Amino acid sequence: MLGAGRWVDLGGSSPRPGWSPRLLGFVLLFSLATGLLGGRLVQLQVGQGSRLAAAGDGNRVHREVLEAERGIIYDRHGTQLAINRPAWSLLVVPAELPLDAGRRQAELERLAQLAGRSGADLRALLARAPDAQAPVTVRDDLEPAAAQALAERLPGLPGVRLVGHPVRNYVDGRLFSHVIGYTGRIDPDEYGRLRGAGYRPDQLLGKSGVEAGLEADLRGRDGWADVEYDAQGEAARTLRRQAPLAGDSVYLSIDSGLQQRVAGLLQEGIGRAGRQAGAALVVDTRDGELLAMASAPGFDANALSRGIGGADYARLLQDPAKPLYDRAAAGLYPPGSTFKMITAAAALEEGRIGAGSTLPCPAAISYGGWTYRNWAGYDMGAMNVRKALAVSCDTFFYVAAEQVGDRPLARYARAFGYGRAPHLEIPRPAAGIVPDRDWLAATCGAGPECRWNPGETLTMGIGQSYLLTTPLIQAMYTSALANGGTLLSPTLVSQVRDPAGAPVRNAAPAPAGRLPVSPDNLATVRQGMHDCMNAAYGTGFRFRAAGFSHDGGCKTGTAQYGGSGTALPEHAWFLMFTPFDNPEVAIVVLVEGGGEGSDTAEPIAVGIADYYYSHRDAIRAPGPA
Amino acid sequence: MNRSGPLQRLDHLQVMVVAALSGLGLMTLYSAGGSAFHRQLFFLGLGVAAYAAAAALDYRCLRAAAPWLYGACLLLLLAVAVNGHSRLGAQRWLAVAGTPVEPSEVAKLLLVVVLAARAARAPRIGPRALAELCGIALPPLLLVLAEPDLGTAIVLAALLLGVLFLGGASRLSLAALAAGTVAIVPLVPHLLRGYQRRRLEIFLDPGRDPLGAGYNLLQARIAVGSGGWFGQGWMHGMNGRLGYVPERTTDFAFAIYAEQFGLAGGLLLLLLFAILIGRLARSAALAPDRFGALLCAGVAVVVATQVAQNVGMNIGLTPIAGIPLPLVSSGGSALVAGMAGLGLVQSVQLRRLAVLHNRSPAPGRPLLRGPGTVHLPL
Repeated sequence: MLGAGRWVDLGGSSPRPGWSPRLLGFVLLFSLATGLLGGRLVQLQVGQGSRLAAAGDGNRVHREVLEAERGIIYDRHGTQLAINRPAWSLLVVPAELPLDAGRRQAELERLAQLAGRSGADLRALLARAPDAQAPVTVRDDLEPAAAQALAERLPGLPGVRLVGHPVRNYVDGRLFSHVIGYTGRIDPDEYGRLRGAGYRPDQLLGKSGVEAGLEADLRGRDGWADVEYDAQGEAARTLRRQAPLAGDSVYLSIDSGLQQRVAGLLQEGIGRAGRQAGAALVVDTRDGELLAMASAPGFDANALSRGIGGADYARLLQDPAKPLYDRAAAGLYPPGSTFKMITAAAALEEGRIGAGSTLPCPAAISYGGWTYRNWAGYDMGAMNVRKALAVSCDTFFYVAAEQVGDRPLARYARAFGYGRAPHLEIPRPAAGIVPDRDWLAATCGAGPECRWNPGETLTMGIGQSYLLTTPLIQAMYTSALANGGTLLSPTLVSQVRDPAGAPVRNAAPAPAGRLPVSPDNLATVRQGMHDCMNAAYGTGFRFRAAGFSHDGGCKTGTAQYGGSGTALPEHAWFLMFTPFDNPEVAIVVLVEGGGEGSDTAEPIAVGIADYYYSHRDAIRAPGPA
Repeated sequence: MNRSGPLQRLDHLQVMVVAALSGLGLMTLYSAGGSAFHRQLFFLGLGVAAYAAAAALDYRCLRAAAPWLYGACLLLLLAVAVNGHSRLGAQRWLAVAGTPVEPSEVAKLLLVVVLAARAARAPRIGPRALAELCGIALPPLLLVLAEPDLGTAIVLAALLLGVLFLGGASRLSLAALAAGTVAIVPLVPHLLRGYQRRRLEIFLDPGRDPLGAGYNLLQARIAVGSGGWFGQGWMHGMNGRLGYVPERTTDFAFAIYAEQFGLAGGLLLLLLFAILIGRLARSAALAPDRFGALLCAGVAVVVATQVAQNVGMNIGLTPIAGIPLPLVSSGGSALVAGMAGLGLVQSVQLRRLAVLHNRSPAPGRPLLRGPGTVHLPL
């Protein structure tokens, strides 16, 4: 061991050490080590420098999306219909949750509680997330007080964020439900389709109506900010920023007062008839602008925009009255007697009848072993086409249609806008069906049961057979009859403006075609419609009963549906334009299962026409400059 | 004569290098923010005092005190084991007047003195001296390892090997020692604690757990790499400033230094350390006696080991083991003890002339080497 005495040395007596080879070796060894370290520095800082610097930026700098404010939707006079309101959402970034399974589980349970969801529901939501780095919205539209309470708990919940953003608010969500539609979170299918267009997995987008149809205008352009974060996740500074650009504003062609009245009258009329559903439209016959478009029943667009997944949405989907279904633009119905103007025009143009020639109007005719009845159970006597339209004689038009033939009749129907979806600023207006023997063969096949029964031509003449149309197609067809033969494209939008208020584009009348009808023949058809409304024998007697002080043209329709036979349920139609000379508006009313058109549909149209004339100046006032 | 005044006899270049390294260290700590800079400034004041005191002290009196110093060294380490404070999972600190002191830093310096004193007893290290030196070094080494402080244990082991090698142990005995060490290597994974083994695994594959144990290594590498040729500029190393580099004032101070000053700064720092080691070796070579020479050599080995290991782990060349970068990393005990060690080298340096004068008062005699100089393995 180490005795203290043995440590006493001889002082300076030992020889001077000097530079021994081992000392030199040690210095050399350290120099080599230094060289090695230096070489590694070159490799890291010069060789991999830019890659490592980029990795560092990736750590520190996160690109935040600056959400663009969605464009505002106004009516034709600048009344706000869809606006944005600040709200708070609770988001979670799956990748930032604790890695430890136990802690993760505990946090998810707490989060579920805070978001008012079940834990299983929340886990399922996260499991569906397409990207672990992308935030998933757990709860939309928190009340300010709830948001405040949540904000205080956030520090203990890594990966959870509270984000303020504008949400859509519909001033009258029920009134414009099908026209404006609603917005919602992008779903995985939509995201798959739209990610190329710069959509985020959590983005709000238009789901139906104008919100969906004019998504590109309303959406605006998101901005971004590159924010540098410290290791604790606190934002340190913003490095670069691109301001968001708000979406364009959309001015509808709809007059909100008229829309209100139309929807109210429709609802009332449907209720009076003991029915649930219907549609009503008012279109400007000169430019195709829709002044009102209502489909009943409607839905609360605000409830849908607040987030689907709730019981409300399930109820809407399961409601037998199908409130989400836009009957005005997509509802398919046989036109019934409202088709007779087409049969009349075809027969006149094809020379099968003349304006002055007459055909009998018996209670029934027999054809091919079948009996085809008139709606009146008695012989109404011989009449010309003008009166046949006014009294809506079925047997007259059976004969006329038989003489025209199915193919020419179908050709005329198509020329009047049937069988083709009008272009409109909402998704998926329906096209309907125009049948003839070729259509049947193409649809059904080559079997004997698919042969065109000549009797179909007769029923097609009064708007039955396989014919299907939509209220919107009817409105444009009525407009064409009113305006002298121009088939217009409908529009719901009068103007689009950028956020600064400068017009981006204005609606312009868009002719979709000319009716293949000579002015004389068109005049004859129009006179039939005039008499329907104004002659003592016309089926549009409600107008006369109401003492309506303007003239116009109309046609009632009572369309059987649900098979063939006699005692079938009927849809009630009413088509009209007013005034007769230089018409301004066409009105179309449909009551699903409403029975006689003159009983259920016409009174609604009377109310609409009354309102139109009593508020004409306000409706016709120019929009905001 | 002016030339022979004590201030003139100091190794001026060593003083300048030490000042430059301390300055770079202070700049680095200032850029890291927080209180580290001010504490370091205070301890640098203490360190300068310790440096001056050690230089003034006649190192030869330490020889006689060696057994006492050794006892003190063991007592300090035992006190930590019994009554130490834990920080970051290791029991390494002692509270002295409210200030945490890291005894292993002091123990390092004491062991340099004790080993040098024992090795200086004979001109060479025979088998018996070798066994004794190992016997002296082993208890502190084991105590440090038990804290656990793998970094300091590595330094102490390197110190022992350095003293044996430079003190002239025979090649055969060194080879035997090396063989013994190699034989222990396969046992290392079993001897390491969980986190130490994990560090070794992560060193071999840092991508294995980028947010967990590999985080330090990866972030340090990112910071160093972000420096590029000339760095982001002082106070502009964002990975370091924003806290992504862990332990950025201590173990990973080099990483944030390299981010700010780039390759140029990194090479400058390495060059300064190389000069420092060269000067310490020169002091050893010029020492008037074997004890002084081994004292200088011991300090040089400690500094060299720490620089190589610390910079190495900052740039992913060596596994992570908590060793501060001398004069740069924050840490009061390390700074004061380190400055005292460098001061002792100056003490040896100062007394070389005195010895020369004693032996040959004739002026004009070459100072570094002259006739009569006996070259021995240190």
